[in-house]
Amino acid sequence: MIRIWLAGLLRKSPARLLAAAGGISIAVALVAGLGSFLVTSQATMTQRAAAQVAVDWQVQVAAHRDPNAVLNAVRSAPGTVAALPVGFADSPGLHATAGGTTQDTGAAKVLGLPPGYATTFPLSIRLLTGSQNGVLVAQQTAANLHVTPGDQVRVSRAGLAPYWVKVAGVVELPQADSLFQRVGAPSQSQPVAPPDNVILLPAAQFQAEYAGLAKTRPDLVTTQIHARRDHAGLPTDPSSAFTAETGAANNLAVRTSGAAVVGNNLGASLDAARGDASYARILFLFLGAPGALLAAGLTAAITQAGADRRRKEQSLLRARGSTPTQLIRLVLVEAAVVGVLGGLIGLGVAAVIGAASSWPWDLAAGLAGLAIAAAVVAVPAIRDLRAVAAGESAKVTQRTQPAWMRFGLDVVLIALGLGVFWASGQNKYTLVLAPEGVPTISVNYWAFLAPALAWLGCGLLCWRIADTVLVRGRRVVAWASRPVLGPLSQTVASMLMRQRRLVSRSAVLVALALAFAVSTATFNATYRQQAEVDAQLTNGADVTVVESPGAHATPADAAQLASVSGVKAVEPLQHRFAYVGNDLQDLYGINPSTVTRATTLQDAYFQGATAAQSLAQLKSRPDAILVSAETVNDFQLNPGDLVKLRLQDAQTHTYRSVSFHFVGIVNEFPTAPKDSFLVANADYIAQQTGSDAVGTFLVSTGGSNVSAVADRIRNVVGTTGSVGTINDARGLVGSSLTSVDLAKLTRLELAFALLIAAASGGLVIGLGIAERRRAIAVATGLGATRRQVRRFGSAEPAYVLLVGTVCGLATGWGLSYLLVKVLTGVFDPPPTGLTAPWGYLAALIACTVAAVGFASVVVIERARRRARSLLRAI
Amino acid sequence: MNTSTGARPALPRDPGTSTSLVVCDAAGRTFGHGSVAVVAVHGASCVVSSSSRVALVGPSGSGKSTLLQLMAGLDTPTSGSVSWPAWDSGPFQDPSRAGMVFQGLSLIPSITAVENVAFPLLLQGFSHKQAIALAIESLDLLAITGLADKLPEELSGGQAQRVAVARVVTSRPRLIFADEPTGQLDRVSGDRVIDVLLEAADHLGAGLVLSTHDAAVAGRLDQTWRMHDGELVVAA
Repeated sequence: MIRIWLAGLLRKSPARLLAAAGGISIAVALVAGLGSFLVTSQATMTQRAAAQVAVDWQVQVAAHRDPNAVLNAVRSAPGTVAALPVGFADSPGLHATAGGTTQDTGAAKVLGLPPGYATTFPLSIRLLTGSQNGVLVAQQTAANLHVTPGDQVRVSRAGLAPYWVKVAGVVELPQADSLFQRVGAPSQSQPVAPPDNVILLPAAQFQAEYAGLAKTRPDLVTTQIHARRDHAGLPTDPSSAFTAETGAANNLAVRTSGAAVVGNNLGASLDAARGDASYARILFLFLGAPGALLAAGLTAAITQAGADRRRKEQSLLRARGSTPTQLIRLVLVEAAVVGVLGGLIGLGVAAVIGAASSWPWDLAAGLAGLAIAAAVVAVPAIRDLRAVAAGESAKVTQRTQPAWMRFGLDVVLIALGLGVFWASGQNKYTLVLAPEGVPTISVNYWAFLAPALAWLGCGLLCWRIADTVLVRGRRVVAWASRPVLGPLSQTVASMLMRQRRLVSRSAVLVALALAFAVSTATFNATYRQQAEVDAQLTNGADVTVVESPGAHATPADAAQLASVSGVKAVEPLQHRFAYVGNDLQDLYGINPSTVTRATTLQDAYFQGATAAQSLAQLKSRPDAILVSAETVNDFQLNPGDLVKLRLQDAQTHTYRSVSFHFVGIVNEFPTAPKDSFLVANADYIAQQTGSDAVGTFLVSTGGSNVSAVADRIRNVVGTTGSVGTINDARGLVGSSLTSVDLAKLTRLELAFALLIAAASGGLVIGLGIAERRRAIAVATGLGATRRQVRRFGSAEPAYVLLVGTVCGLATGWGLSYLLVKVLTGVFDPPPTGLTAPWGYLAALIACTVAAVGFASVVVIERARRRARSLLRAI
Repeated sequence: MNTSTGARPALPRDPGTSTSLVVCDAAGRTFGHGSVAVVAVHGASCVVSSSSRVALVGPSGSGKSTLLQLMAGLDTPTSGSVSWPAWDSGPFQDPSRAGMVFQGLSLIPSITAVENVAFPLLLQGFSHKQAIALAIESLDLLAITGLADKLPEELSGGQAQRVAVARVVTSRPRLIFADEPTGQLDRVSGDRVIDVLLEAADHLGAGLVLSTHDAAVAGRLDQTWRMHDGELVVAA
């Protein structure tokens, strides 16, 4: 019997089966695609987190323990690719005489680097000028001592005579924070900033100068083993990789019996990445789950459209002696066929678009497809079976309100959602909790409740609105439709009122589909916008030219850059160092009137004022200064306070006190570090220090041809400066999701959102299609003209489209706001507002309207042409 | 308007003396082509006037409905011709010329009985107020005013067919066609529907042609025309 039924089903209703399978395939492809995104992005995160670490392990050799034994232990640890010993020594100070002046510094760090260190750990040292072979001086130290390659520096030693070294090169230590960490100390005991004065000696020279001191003062001379680990062998998931790497480090500590303390830089980087991986999972849930639910809703709508036929068939089979058990088997077979077919199509689609690469996710997606088929095909059919047995018939009209509407469930859900949103706000929307040093990570899944409840509540509210307008605003509907429907308007309004359950349900489906598409698109557009802001914040502008140490560029040099083809604007940016108390901070000198010509300043960069207001405050007095929030807190500053900084005088090369007035707080600034820095008027700094030297030129290309313009600028500046582009920065910003292939996820989501919205629009016509066909056939049979039939038949789709679109856009916009707020953690810096993807929204509405219009015309014309046979059949 | 595709044979005519409204002249209707062609009506010739009370009888598939549709102008003959001497086009284009009572439940499900009855008038451009007033008159005429505010799903089969008749009556047509109007009704309900149809035709002075396979129903009308395998046999 099952075989006969199945054959009949495939022969008689292939379109309906395919449509239901198509709905399921959307859900399956979406889940498989997002799962694939998750897996690949996690692997990318792991690789990026590992790749950006200069030295994976810094193993501190305990005092009086044999460094060679620890070196051998590190080298023999599974996963170690290379390990080299590095000497660390403390110096009371450095001294140099250069350019006719003499400089002395405070305490310094001296490192002894073995041969091959720079090639083994290429990210640890970046040569700025001179040669890498010989004694190297850190950039800041070179500035403090005014030394360049070839100059001599005297290095003091505690209890021993100082010694002289000849500077071979000036280098940047990009990861100085971790290089000079206190290995094994908790984060709160780590140095606030890396040392200002650093000198790097070849290992042999270090050994010669410090072998003696190491014996007498082992507290001043230590050894670290720097190790490079095998990144390719790491588990792909950042969390697993973190656990594996932490375990390996602990294993080394145990094997060396306390002789080694591991500074696990790789583990720390993976620790940050696992937080991002959790955010990726959250994004998946936030953006993927509604899509899958909607696809299930679509499938339910398709099967609902065939409910009448199913009921008739069930009645017939029951009348001919089939038992309920036999009928249930047939229903389950139909559900299985639809589920398997939908699953296969969905996985096929995912494979074709290159989004099916993870078998666990493919399997999960396939099972989800079967579950949806069971829920939307089998369950309603079995429920109908009971109704058939009880002799009930379907009613097309609805006179009473559903229970949820009477009890105000929609309002309750929205209120609860807003309550959870408010509560999450108290916790600053912290979704991902990664306690330091703890190998597990937790996600605050409660925060999901706010948008989830709001989504459901808004869907039900849309239902209430569609229902209420039809019941209480029937006259308004009739009046509004009169220009199109003429005398039929009141009858059509009555018709819609009595079919309001069907109409409202269709409007909800369209509204939720549009809300999903709008919120996804708006979230992604805002995300892309902020990633761009982040990239510009990091690089400073489309193109930046950072002057090399020793080069003396003045604002007048901007003219040369401005003449380069493709350059829209050039803005000089002073970069100095200033002592705030004993704290050395970056000081940026700008021209507040012109700085925005070459870079963008977001309101979020400033605290308590907009970007324009902050620049106006800076402009209000020459000695005005904007101070970072951290410095304001550290030094308890209030607006208007006099701030005395120590700046280096260009003539005397000594630090002298310069007065500023604190006018505002700055959180972020192009090219500035994230913690402490200052922004002041360039003219005032030049006047007070006797130098208008420019540190960086910010170059705007108008956002186009960045790489080509950068190449032309490189030809102009030669070796006097390094040229960076926003394109480089895009690949570097954070270890966060920004760097992950979110573009692929975005395309996938937006394509599915568009598909679901258009399909929802088209399929609402399928809801109650039997009643619609009958009404159209009767109207045709009563002599209605083609034009009258079209208008009469289009009334319901038009109402559904209007209410669904208005509610969908409003809900989508509201949900976007909630999503962006709740997912604050993925934005850096946080956005000041939502970014509307107008083009996509226009395409979305156009596709939905086109789908509804097309489906309406097809249904109406078909019913009109077949009016006679339909009238005979009903 | 005439639809003509063949020679003109002698025409059977109803016994009344009033105006001829429909003239079928060897009208035929074939569906499909070649080896799959099905001849539904073959060379039917007849005349219907305003005083006609005709029962078109025959077994299922004999071509009754097709002939009705040809006479109403809902379909076009593939041979012979159908003409309506009183009008320049098929009566079905205008509900005040002809109305059709369909076999099944042909009311629009989501509007009330009175709105269903008013519907053809609204299509003709009457205002809603006028259309409802005329619809109530029709319901009153057929003594079913009590059904006015009921939805089709709340009506029995017989009540629904009487409302369908009222819907035809409300346009005051000169021809009423009914395609097996009692086909899905029990005897008592069927009789009441025939009563109402005859009353309506008399009241309007309209010609009435109904198809049925029920001899008892046919016996209540003045004339019985038989259909067999697409051939029309007109009794005297």
